[in-house]
Amino acid sequence: MPQQALCGALEVVINKALSLNSSQEKRSQLWLQLEGKRLSVELAEFNAPFVIAVSDGKVLVSSLELAEQDNAESLSQLGSDCHIKTSLQTLWQLKNEQQLTELIKQEKLDVQGDLKLAQQFASIAESINIDWQSELAKHIGDVPTFKLGQLLENISGKLNFAKQQVTSDASEWLIHEQKLVVTEYELANFNQGVKQVVNELEALEQRIATLAQKSKATKADLKTATTE
Amino acid sequence: MSEQTNADQSATENQHNQDNTTHFGYKTVESSEKASMVADVFHSVAKQYDIMNDLMSFGIHRLWKRFTIDASGVRPGNKVLDLAGGTGDLTAKFSQLVGRDGKVILADINSSMLNVGRDKLRDRGLVQNIEYVQANAEALPFEENTFDVVTIAFGLRNVTDKDKALRSIYSVLKPGGRLLVLEFSKPEHELLNKAYDFYSFNILPKMGDLVAKDGDSYQYLAESIRMHPDQETLKDMMNNAGFEQTNYKNLTGGIVALHKGYKF
Repeated sequence: MPQQALCGALEVVINKALSLNSSQEKRSQLWLQLEGKRLSVELAEFNAPFVIAVSDGKVLVSSLELAEQDNAESLSQLGSDCHIKTSLQTLWQLKNEQQLTELIKQEKLDVQGDLKLAQQFASIAESINIDWQSELAKHIGDVPTFKLGQLLENISGKLNFAKQQVTSDASEWLIHEQKLVVTEYELANFNQGVKQVVNELEALEQRIATLAQKSKATKADLKTATTE
Repeated sequence: MSEQTNADQSATENQHNQDNTTHFGYKTVESSEKASMVADVFHSVAKQYDIMNDLMSFGIHRLWKRFTIDASGVRPGNKVLDLAGGTGDLTAKFSQLVGRDGKVILADINSSMLNVGRDKLRDRGLVQNIEYVQANAEALPFEENTFDVVTIAFGLRNVTDKDKALRSIYSVLKPGGRLLVLEFSKPEHELLNKAYDFYSFNILPKMGDLVAKDGDSYQYLAESIRMHPDQETLKDMMNNAGFEQTNYKNLTGGIVALHKGYKF
């Protein structure tokens, strides 16, 4: 049942985000068009597709049983007006409605059914603009919210600076180090040289061994001759 | 569960049917008395039913119910019967899923439970496509071939004649319609079974006593769960009632099982 737990959590988060959305006007216009529509989303990271439906201004998230999906031959059997097959990363990029066509061209996104419906859902996601500070102020007051906002801004500024610094240091280091880094050809050449030295060494060893054997034999002959 | 145990359960049911007795928890009572005894239990717990469900199951009952809804394959425009629907958890979700063109009937034999359910759903603004019917599952007051989906969640074990109820449900389903039975069942692992037994007979009645001021009703709950047919027996009962492609899925290690069967 992790899928059900995830659906429940998603449903709460989406509806909460929509209720806090400051661009209500745009939302209500789109809402009327989406009433009763079902969008199914099949993500590469999950086993079963999610179904997102709109009913009475609320978003319902459910998951389809695998057996049902296996038996389904058409969109109508899945009960959805539009079926999207993609990955989590691509889904995040869909927040920007302009990306839709580009993602389909790149084959990162497969859309079956009413493309307009997918665009409308993407448009709603894009329209979400939550004024966190005024929402937070309702709970903890204006001054603490202001202080907290300042603190977060400071932290975020420092993090951004650190990120920029790390990025520029890394790129600088890479540019300078690249000149010193051994290339593939150089490495192959070096390996070949090492192999050659090893072969020469082996030949030398063999020669020394032969000479040593010969010298032993000569010494033995000399000894025999002297005795006679 | 072995075939022998399944046969034992069926034999006990048959014996009860023959001598007009049935079980009420671990007690054997006259069949005619069970309905009113169960009614007393639910009249007593109706107001605290939701909070007790959350407490007893640590909130997991919400996931079991969500799983049932996902498995129902309900579509906009469908007609759904939420039998023994009690406080309307399934009805609330079904009402949103079937939309304005669909309809959900919340049916329960117990007027107190039905009233709590009606008040709760109305407070949530769910009014337009829900109807309330006080009905006995054994003799449903609906025309044949009426519903696309029938669900009975945590209700079948309280029904006196389960076979009769399943036949009655079968008749009100449309061809292609499906029945989903969400009910306590037999845990798959012995260790879990022992822990579950300890929890059910030692902690549950005390919880009931403390929160709902009615330990006896929760003692009945624990006993009625043990007396309810196990997964395979219930599957056979559904098949005998005429359902096809019957299958079940164990949830939370078999503490609860969801049975699904089709009418073709």
